Amino acid sequence: MGVASKVLRIVAIAIFMAWLMIPIVWTLSLSFKPYLEWRAPHFWPKNPTLLNYKILFFYQREIAGTTGGTALTKPMITPLINTLIVVGVSTIIAVIIGFFTAYGASRYNSPGPFGLYFTLLTRMVPPATFVTPVLIYYRMIGFLDTQLGLILLYAAATVTYSIWILKGFIDQIPREWEEAAILEGLSPLRAMLRVTLPLIKSALVVSGLFIFLMNYSEFLFALVLTTRNAVTLPVHLTTYVGGSGVLYGAQAACGIVASIIPLVIGYVIQRHLITGLTFGMVRA
Amino acid sequence: MATKPPRSVNLLANLPLNILLYAVLIIPLAIMIYISFTDWNPAKGYDWWQAPLSGINNFVRMLGDVRLGAALGRTIVFVLVVVAVEFLLGLGMAYLLLAEFPGKRGIISLIIYPLMLPWVVVGLVFYLLFADFGPVVNVFLKAIMGETFTKTSLLLNPTIGFTVIMLADIWQWTPFMFLILYAGLSAVPKKFIEAAQVLGASSRTIFRRIQFPLIRPLAMVALVLRSLEAFKVFDTVYMITRGGPGSTTETISFYIYMLAVRYYDMAYASAVSLVLLIALAIVIRVFVKYAIERGGA
Repeated sequence: MGVASKVLRIVAIAIFMAWLMIPIVWTLSLSFKPYLEWRAPHFWPKNPTLLNYKILFFYQREIAGTTGGTALTKPMITPLINTLIVVGVSTIIAVIIGFFTAYGASRYNSPGPFGLYFTLLTRMVPPATFVTPVLIYYRMIGFLDTQLGLILLYAAATVTYSIWILKGFIDQIPREWEEAAILEGLSPLRAMLRVTLPLIKSALVVSGLFIFLMNYSEFLFALVLTTRNAVTLPVHLTTYVGGSGVLYGAQAACGIVASIIPLVIGYVIQRHLITGLTFGMVRA
Repeated sequence: MATKPPRSVNLLANLPLNILLYAVLIIPLAIMIYISFTDWNPAKGYDWWQAPLSGINNFVRMLGDVRLGAALGRTIVFVLVVVAVEFLLGLGMAYLLLAEFPGKRGIISLIIYPLMLPWVVVGLVFYLLFADFGPVVNVFLKAIMGETFTKTSLLLNPTIGFTVIMLADIWQWTPFMFLILYAGLSAVPKKFIEAAQVLGASSRTIFRRIQFPLIRPLAMVALVLRSLEAFKVFDTVYMITRGGPGSTTETISFYIYMLAVRYYDMAYASAVSLVLLIALAIVIRVFVKYAIERGGA
C-alpha cells in the first residue's frame, strides 16, 4: 500500500473519531463550566465548578452561588432509585421468563413460530403504537405512575431479547446431554434446570445486562405513564427547563451522570452488544 | 426437533410468557381495537366502554389528515437518509479498519460507545450543541459571520432542526452499522482475497466482486433492523425540537404521542396506531421469515 493511501486512511479514521468524541467531551466540559461561561466560546472551563453537579443532588435553596436559573428542580436521588428498582426487577423477570420460553423453543419448538414472531413484533414496531392502549388500560386499572406498572411493561417489552439471545446459546448445547440425563431418570424439567441452566449461566448474565441497558434508556413510556412517584432518570432529565432560566450546565451534568451506568454495562458486554441489538441474528 | 414437549417444560415455556404478554400488551391492544371504532375522548366525561360506536369514521379521517401524511412522509425521509448515511459511513470505516495496525482494538472499543448511551442523552447532547448558547452558534457561526453575529435560534428553523435530529441519529447509530459490517468483512476468508491478489485484481475489484457479495446477506439484516429502529424515532425529537416549531419536525411516533397525551384524542390515536401496527406487522413478518430461513445469519 502506498504512503499516500496510508496517510489518507489515518486522516479519515481521525476525523471519524473526532466526530464521535467531540460532542460528548464538550458536554462533559460544559458540565464543569460556571453560569458565566456557558456562552463563552472556549472549549475547556476557565473556572471549573461542581455547582452543576450539586444542583442534581440538592434543592437549589440549599446551594450558595448562581446556578443560572430559577427553574425549580428536584434532586435526582428519587428518580435514580426508581430507575434502579424498575429496571432491575423488570430485567430479572424478563430473563427468567425468557429462559423458560427460549428453552421450550430451542428443544421442543414449544411456543411455536407464531408466539416467537409476536414477541419480535412487539419489539420491532414503534413503541408509540402501544402508548394509547397502555395509557388507557393503566388508567383503568390504576397502574399509572406506579413502579409495578413500569416493571410489568418493561419486562414484557424486553422479554424478546432474552428469548432470542438465550435461544442462540441453548441451541449450541448438545441435546444429547439432556437426553442422557433423562435416560438416567431425571425428569425433563430437572434436566433443564440441572444440566442446561448451569451451562448458560454466563449467557443469563449477558442477556440480563443487555436488557438492563435497554430498559435503563427507555423514555417514551416513562414519560407518558409517570408524573411524580415513579419518574425515572430519562424523564427527570427533561425537567431542567423552566422558570426564568434553563439550567444548561445542570442538564449537561445530568446527562453525564445518567451515562455512567450504561457505559460501564456496555463495556462489560461489548462483545455481545451486536448479538443483542440484532436479536441474535448476527453474532460477532 | 419434532418430539412432543413434556407437559412441565411446555407449561413453563408458554404460561409465564403468555400471562405477561396478555397482562400488559394483548388486553390493551384488544381495547385499542375497540376504541378505534368509537369516538371516545376522556374529556367527554364517560369511560371508553360507554362511548358510542362511530363505525370507520376515524379511519376515514386519517385519509384527509394532512398532518399525519406530513409526519409519515417526514419519518420515511428520516429513515432513508439516516440509514443510507449510517450504512455508507459504517461500511467505509469497517473497510478502513480491516487491516491490522497497533491500537486497533482500542479504537474499535472507542467507536462503539455512542451505542450504549441512552437516546435521551444523545438528544440532549445535540440540543446543547445547537442551542442558542452552544458552540455551533457561538464558535462556528461567529467565526463565519463575524463577531456582531449574536443570537439566532437555529432550532427554530424546521430544516435545521430536523437535520440536527438526523445528525444525532447518525452519530449514535453509525457504530452499529460499523460493528456488523466489520464483523462480516473480517469473516471473509483471507485466502479468497490472497488468491484474487495473485491473479492481479485491484483492491476495488476485490471489494466489489468478493467482499461485498459475501457480506450482502448480513448487510440486508443490518439495513432492515436499523430501518425499523430508525422508524421509531421519538426521544431525540422530544429533546431537540419537541416536534416544533408548530408541527414542522414531527415524526409519526411524536404525532401519536401528541394525539394521545396532549390532545386526549384517544379514539383517533388508537386508529392511527392500529393501522401503523398492521402495516408494519406485514413488513416484519416478511423480514423475519427471510432472516430465520437463512438460519439466522
